[in-house]
Amino acid sequence: MATPMSVLRLPKGPDPNSRGFDPKSPRYIALCRPSVSTSAASGADAEELQKEQDARTVLRESFLRCLLSMTSKKVQFHMHEKVKVEATFGASDIDVLNFQVSDLHTPIGVQKEALIRCQDVISFTFDT
Amino acid sequence: MAMRQTPLTCSGHTRPVVDLAFSGITPYGYFLISACKDGKPMLRQGDTGDWIGTFLGHKGAVWGATLNTDATKAATAAADFTAKVWDAVSGDEILSLAHKHIVKTVTFTQDSNCLLTGGNDKLLRIYDLSNPDAAPQEIAGHTSAIKKALWCNTDKQILSASEDKTIRLWDRTTMEEVKTLTFDTTVSSMEYVADGEILVITYGKTIAFYNALSLELIKTVEAPAPINSASLHPEKDFFVAGGEDFKLYKFDYSTKEELESYKGHFGPVHCVRFSPDGELYASGSEDGTLRLWQTAVGKTYGLWKCVLPEDLGAENPEQLYTTPPEIKA
Repeated sequence: MATPMSVLRLPKGPDPNSRGFDPKSPRYIALCRPSVSTSAASGADAEELQKEQDARTVLRESFLRCLLSMTSKKVQFHMHEKVKVEATFGASDIDVLNFQVSDLHTPIGVQKEALIRCQDVISFTFDT
Repeated sequence: MAMRQTPLTCSGHTRPVVDLAFSGITPYGYFLISACKDGKPMLRQGDTGDWIGTFLGHKGAVWGATLNTDATKAATAAADFTAKVWDAVSGDEILSLAHKHIVKTVTFTQDSNCLLTGGNDKLLRIYDLSNPDAAPQEIAGHTSAIKKALWCNTDKQILSASEDKTIRLWDRTTMEEVKTLTFDTTVSSMEYVADGEILVITYGKTIAFYNALSLELIKTVEAPAPINSASLHPEKDFFVAGGEDFKLYKFDYSTKEELESYKGHFGPVHCVRFSPDGELYASGSEDGTLRLWQTAVGKTYGLWKCVLPEDLGAENPEQLYTTPPEIKA
């Protein structure tokens, strides 16, 4: 009798909590416009666009400086499903998809080294 | 040693799957869209069947679904009297095109600029997607509901199949009928293979192959059961068909010989299509599932992995497994 063909796993099914189209997927990142789009290029004048770009620059810089100042500090992450964990912040990857942390305190123990998936994080706080 | 076909079951739909379509091959692989009576068409990764997202918005059964060649846009036809165009990367609805009756079929031109629709109001409509507010061009002629419409001859012509038991070829520019094929019964499905200009038609237990330009008959093949859909392999060596006896059949195109038949679905098969690389074919059924089948059983591809008997005891036996026998609900 012939042997049935082996399969690595079954196809992944729908996520019951979301309609999908993961914004972190390589295809989405490459093909989608940013979530906060600029004012319609035709409508706005150059001055408006420049003001917008300046604001974006300020926001981006302050976010990056925030990440810098967090290094080696204890940070509290508020995540989905009412999860709150504390860890010592290490670094972020370039696309802000993952945070590298140490001594992650979880309900089942302390993880010496861990990666936290940014899409799971709602907010984080720390003392400067 | 011969390997037995292990289909991959894609679950998620809650009602019959009535239509499915593959995109072309993109830098991110190829994709599959399924139309379902539950009103929620789904996008899946074509080679694995992994769910990517669900297009939410229709308020009725979705009868037709299609992707453009690079899978950046999707279009759906539904019982809520609309055809919708979607961004297939973000899942957002881009356009909703109101019709006067149930819409059954939608298809993009190769450049994705125009959309052809057809449905129960017996009209073919051509929408210019760069000017969606403009009224569509309408082609009248069919005397009953349109089941399927497609572009052919590099989008210069249109083929439509209707419940009036005809298939008509139309010129896109003049909007006039060029040729008509009449049958004794309504055609159940139509597939157009651009490379070689072949039209695959199913009716009753017959799978018929026509020249898409001249509408001359090339050959017909009889299946053991009434067939709802058939698809020709890109290299035109095989074709597959599925229908009322729940089975998938694989035939040799040249010799017309039935090569294999596969059981798996728990209801009639409504649609079957080969992937753009020909390595697998997908089937949609009344049982609410899509199944992916290997063209060359035994080959490592997608989620299928060829395992030699001596490897089965080694290291990580849990990594590979054969799908357990189906349990009937």
